[in-house]
Amino acid sequence: MIGVARFLQQRQDFENATTRSYQSEIEARNRLARGERPAAARATIASQQSRRQALRNEISSETRDTALLVGAGLIAGLTGAALLFTGLISSMRRPLEDLVEASGRLAGGDLDARVDVGGLSETATLGSAFNEMAEELQRRAGERDQLERMKDEFVLTASHELRSPLTSVQGFAELLLLERERLDPKQAETVEVILDNTRHLTRLLNDLLDLARSDAGRLAIKPVPTDAAQLAEEAVRTMRAQFDARAQRLELEIEPGLPRIEADRDRIRQVLVNLLTNANEYCPERAGIGVKVSRNGADVEIDVSDDGPGIPEDQLAHIFERFSRGDAGETQRVGGTGLGLAISKSLVELHGGTIGAESAPGEGSTFRIRLPAIASADRTEVS
Amino acid sequence: MARVLVADDSETILLLLRTRLEMEGHEVETAADGQEVVDAVDVAAATHDIFLLDAMMPHKSGIDALRELRGAGVETPTLIVSAHTDGGNGEDHESLDIAGYVSKPIDFPQLFTLIDELTR
Repeated sequence: MIGVARFLQQRQDFENATTRSYQSEIEARNRLARGERPAAARATIASQQSRRQALRNEISSETRDTALLVGAGLIAGLTGAALLFTGLISSMRRPLEDLVEASGRLAGGDLDARVDVGGLSETATLGSAFNEMAEELQRRAGERDQLERMKDEFVLTASHELRSPLTSVQGFAELLLLERERLDPKQAETVEVILDNTRHLTRLLNDLLDLARSDAGRLAIKPVPTDAAQLAEEAVRTMRAQFDARAQRLELEIEPGLPRIEADRDRIRQVLVNLLTNANEYCPERAGIGVKVSRNGADVEIDVSDDGPGIPEDQLAHIFERFSRGDAGETQRVGGTGLGLAISKSLVELHGGTIGAESAPGEGSTFRIRLPAIASADRTEVS
Repeated sequence: MARVLVADDSETILLLLRTRLEMEGHEVETAADGQEVVDAVDVAAATHDIFLLDAMMPHKSGIDALRELRGAGVETPTLIVSAHTDGGNGEDHESLDIAGYVSKPIDFPQLFTLIDELTR
């Protein structure tokens, strides 16, 4: 901006000349006051005043010219820039809109989202970068899916491969027990321990398999019209001996005239047995456990409640997560898999139902399953 | 008493099955894979009352062996022993006329009941 520099220089020269002129006039007035050569002093004062007037005339005309020049330059520059920007913006708008739209699709999970690369080099670079990023995301998603599949396959295969040796161990231990009369008490007890542990391993394998299937979306149910009360009776019957062994009371209460539910009988029974097993193992001896089957609006509700020690709030919040278990001492004594409730939740949800838990330390626990009843139009009352 | 053809690729499981089944009074013949199953069956004479076949065996699985035998007109009742807790796919179940599934580890009292029901 040469114009501006010149303008500033002119202003500086003007200021300097004016200052010098004032200084001369002041010196002349001082001499006049002292009475030194008054005529010369008066002449100097007058000449300095007219000199400053001339300087002012000169600077105002030069400034105006320069300001005009600078102003015109600025206007021309701005107009040019504005025109340039308008052109730039219109040629960038389309690719940028495409990018915004593709980003939206990508964020929404459409990993096929790409943009056309063309136009200005800046937007083309941006477009290429976007496409490379989308490509990378897609590749990683593919790898992740493949890893998930490999994990599922691994669990299924491992569960399968572990079953053969487990079958042998359990089978031969059972064979030994068939000859119980030839074993001394210590030997018989040893075999019982082996059998207990094979049963625990089997439970763990079944749970792991269920979870792997659930993760792979392959946990399937075969629902048929079912009497929930009958399932509860069967579960109670299966568990009766375990409750008796710990001198616990187990009571079943069934509301009359319940509608049927659509249920995979084995799977809902599995859920109920799981809830009863937890109550049996976590409650002290002589505790009371109740199973109640009732109707609640369009649902059939199955409550499994106990007057046991209850569940602390921090554990209650995570109780349906896999490997979430009570405190370490308790779980060592109980020896479950920590998977039962997670599987129960998956199974109940597959039936379109819900499962929840209410508890407070010292006040027992209630686990509640709600399963949709078959609509009253095709409802068959249970006799 | 039933004549049982048992197939499993694990020798110890074959020994276990033979021992338990013989203790129940059954007559047992064993096969280590699907091909041995096919070879052991005389299509013309009904040589066995029931097949107890492991679903997964190397070379030829129990399912493949059964498919071959059914194709040859063998109608012997068949139980499939599977490491998985549920049965095979429904298609095989229908087309191969599978009478039931036995999961591992084996619940022997349940297996004996099934054999009795199918060979009565």
